[in-house]
Order: sequence, then structure tokens, then C-alpha cells
Amino acid sequence: MSSRLAQRVLMACCWAAALLLIGAVAAVLGFLLLKGAGALTPELIFGEAEPLAALSGRAQVFDGILPAIVGTTALVLLAVGIALPVGIAAGVYFAVYAPAGLRRVLSLLTDVLASIPSIVVGLFGLTLVILMHKHLSARVYPSLLISGVALACLVLPYIIRTTEVAIEGVDQETRLTALALGASRLQNIFKVLLPRSLSGILSGCILAIGRCAEDTAVIMLTGVVASVGLPGSLLGRYEAVPFFIYYTSSQYADQHELMQGYGAAIVLLAICSWLFLLAWIIKGRLAGLAFRRV
Amino acid sequence: MSTEVKISVENLTFAYGDHVVLDQVSARFAAQRITAITGPSGQGKSTFLTAINRLSDEIPGARVTGRVQINFADGPLDVYAGRYYLPDLRRRVGLVFQKPNPLPISIARNVMLPLALAGRHSRARKLERCEAALRDAFLWDEVKDRLDRSALELSGGQQQRLCIARALVLRPEVLMLDEPTSSLDSEAAGQVEDLLVALRDRCTIIVVSHYLEQVSRIADHGYRIKDRKVVPVG
Repeated sequence: MSSRLAQRVLMACCWAAALLLIGAVAAVLGFLLLKGAGALTPELIFGEAEPLAALSGRAQVFDGILPAIVGTTALVLLAVGIALPVGIAAGVYFAVYAPAGLRRVLSLLTDVLASIPSIVVGLFGLTLVILMHKHLSARVYPSLLISGVALACLVLPYIIRTTEVAIEGVDQETRLTALALGASRLQNIFKVLLPRSLSGILSGCILAIGRCAEDTAVIMLTGVVASVGLPGSLLGRYEAVPFFIYYTSSQYADQHELMQGYGAAIVLLAICSWLFLLAWIIKGRLAGLAFRRV
Repeated sequence: MSTEVKISVENLTFAYGDHVVLDQVSARFAAQRITAITGPSGQGKSTFLTAINRLSDEIPGARVTGRVQINFADGPLDVYAGRYYLPDLRRRVGLVFQKPNPLPISIARNVMLPLALAGRHSRARKLERCEAALRDAFLWDEVKDRLDRSALELSGGQQQRLCIARALVLRPEVLMLDEPTSSLDSEAAGQVEDLLVALRDRCTIIVVSHYLEQVSRIADHGYRIKDRKVVPVG
């Protein structure tokens, strides 16, 4: 009797926890949309400039967040583009090649990397800039590239871990199928293990995208600025949406500016959703191609 | 001819970490014969097979010592001595798993997969070898009109024969099968048994089985694995 009661209480707690989570997400989204929907105008994005002219690069955008949108998108693609191949390769090494002892050490180091606060990663990026400025070329300054590299370090552990876990999750029989048919280890990785692990790797990729899109600490120290226009080169400074939200909310002068902050937050969510969708489509394509060349 | 030894195993010890599965076992497998390996479940019958084509190298924690010599047509190979390209060994010593394991691709691609992995055949040649292997596995008539369909659409018995065809497409000198009929109904099992008997002229066959009836029906020789030892029967 009492065990049945306990089971019911446990069930109720589980439901409550799930509802709390969904409720929290709904509350944040609802609050944002309610507050910021009014600010979602072409003016928020393009400022005074004519939208078409701004998009085609004929007109400069001064008061809008178009440069920040482009900056954040470029930054996320750059950072994930650097972290993905390195992270997948490291994850494959851990899961397939690394001897047990070395693997324990490397796993520990990966965990340490994952637990480093982003402001420290930002300092690492800044140190990198200073060192390169001194010893490599005086033309090295905080820039999009440096931010991308620093952010890649920040998200590398997610990608390594999810790749490793996904490959480990492939059951032993499947792992051995192609090997028994005369596949080399490399062929087995590309034709069996990675295609089977795509879902796991994708979830790591999505985590990484979200982390890169929202991070402010790293980019503040490595190259983001409040106003510079569309990012012109990898070695130049740039604007980013989270930084815009951060400084708008910390030093807004009137209600209108605050509303712009809310509007920008909605835009940031939209950018993330769009990038998730992109990752998901790419995964679908890759899964279709995986055995095509066999 | 019956005395020609294809595979000789001497003092083979197989351990997963500290857990010894096979302890100093020796066995001989005659060329162009079916040798059955029987014994209770969990005693290392499947493990024994992976030691012969060194698939054990790919299993985390597996350690093998001892000597395995395979007398291939072009000369003997000491499996655990010297350095050579392991996929070459596995291409000559085929292994069919207990549970049919076709990949989620078409029937034809499944059968041609080992050729593609070995990578030195034209498409026409691959199709030709694919047809020959499917015929050898008594499967051609059932699938010839749907080679482009997914292999997962086949029945269990057909999938197992597909896996045998896939192992045969490289024309291995040795074919090892790990309880190939355990997941099949009696009719499908009978087809696989007939198939093995027909293949005997071409390959040295080692089949793991715990159906004694089946063993007495098709096997020429037998070994029994129990308590970490391999002993001849019959």
C-alpha cells in the first residue's frame, strides 16, 4: 500500500519536474515575445538604411543590428567549423585508438577544459593576441579569427565527448561487422562508426552552436566592439548580437533602447534556431550519403 | 587428402583482462571439411573464432597468446607472428556472425561491400562476383529481381544467407560461422545446412553450434569447448 503511494508521489514529482522545465522555457519565451515583439521592426535590424540597399551592401547600417547578426553568424560558423573537425577527430581517437591509460589522462584533460569558465578562455584568447602581436606580427589585433579560435576551444569538449560517447554506443557486433569483411580501421570509422554516430555528433554540434551564439565573455576580450559595421575580414573587429544585448541592457538611455535589447534577444533565438535547422539538414544529407559510395 | 591440415592452433590462451576464457588450447582443422565446435553457452566458442582471424585485436581488453598457423594456398601464415596487413587475413578467413547483420543498404551493395573495401574491382566485375556469391549462397533466385532493394526487407533466413554470400564474395579459403542457424526456423536452418555441405569442396569450414543433431548431420569433425579447454569429439 505504502509502496504504491510512494510510486504515485514519485510519478507526481516527475510530472511536476517536467512541467516546471517546460513552464520555465515557455515563461522566458513568452516574456521575450511579449516585451520584444513591438521592437521587431525593420528599423531594429536596418536602422535608418533602406533594407535592400543594406542587404546588398550598398548602404551602411548604423543604428540597426544587421552587422551584429552577420557578425554572430560568421562567428558561430567559424568557431564550429574549427571545433567540429578537431573535436570529431579527437573523439574518434579516444573511442577507437587510444590505449586505456592514455585515454584516462586525456579524458581528464577534456573535462578540465570543459570546466574552464568562459572568461578565462577569453583571457587565453587575449594572451594569444598579445603574444602574436609581440612575436609574430605587429598587425595582429583582437579580431573575428581570434574570437573564433577561442570559442572553438570553449566548445571543443562538448564535441569530443558526444563523438566519443556516440561511437562507444555503437554495439560491438556492428563495430566488428565491416572489420570482419576486411575493412581497415579507417574504413570502419568512415563507413560504419561515424555514420552510426551522426545523431550523437549532431547533438554535440547543436550544444556548440548555442554556446558560441550566446557567449559574451570570450568575445568581449578578443575582438567584439559595439559599432564597426559589417565584418569585413577575419582579421578585423566585428559586432555580435549577445554583446549588443549585453551593453544595451546595461546602459540603455530610454525605453526605446531597452525594447531594442528585447528585440535583439528574439533575433538571437531566431539565429540559433536557423543554425540548428542547418545542422539538422546537413546531418540528414550525410546520413543519406554515408553508404552511397560503398 | 583428408589428412591435410588447413589450420593448426597451438597453446592458444585468450583472456579478457584478467578473465581467462581459453587456456592453452590446441586444435587442428582439416582442409575442405566441416569442423564443428560445440559446448555450453558462454564458454568461448565465438571468442575462439575471433582469435583465428585476429578480430580479437579489435575487441577492447582482449589478449591472445599462442600460435595459429593457416596453410593458405600460397604458403603458410603464422597469424600471430610478424607484421602484415590484418584486413588481408580477414579477407581470406571469412566470419559470419550469429545474428544476421546486413547493413542498411541494398542487397547488391551488401554483397559487394567487401570488394569495395578491398577496392580493386570494376563495377561490372563486382556485379559478376556478386551474382556468383549469391548463387553460391542459394539466394540468387530469390533476390535477382530486387537487388536494389534494402537488405533489411529480407527474411531472417535470407539475411543469413546474404551474410554468407557477403563472406563468400572474396572467395575465402576458410569460412567460419558462429551459430549460423540459431536465429532461424527449421526450414531456413535446413537451407543453411545444405549450403554449408555444398561449400565444403571449396572452403575449410568451421561452424560453431550448440545443436548436436545439426553437428552430427553436417560436420566431418568436431571439437567441444568446456572449462576453458578444447577437446576433440567423435
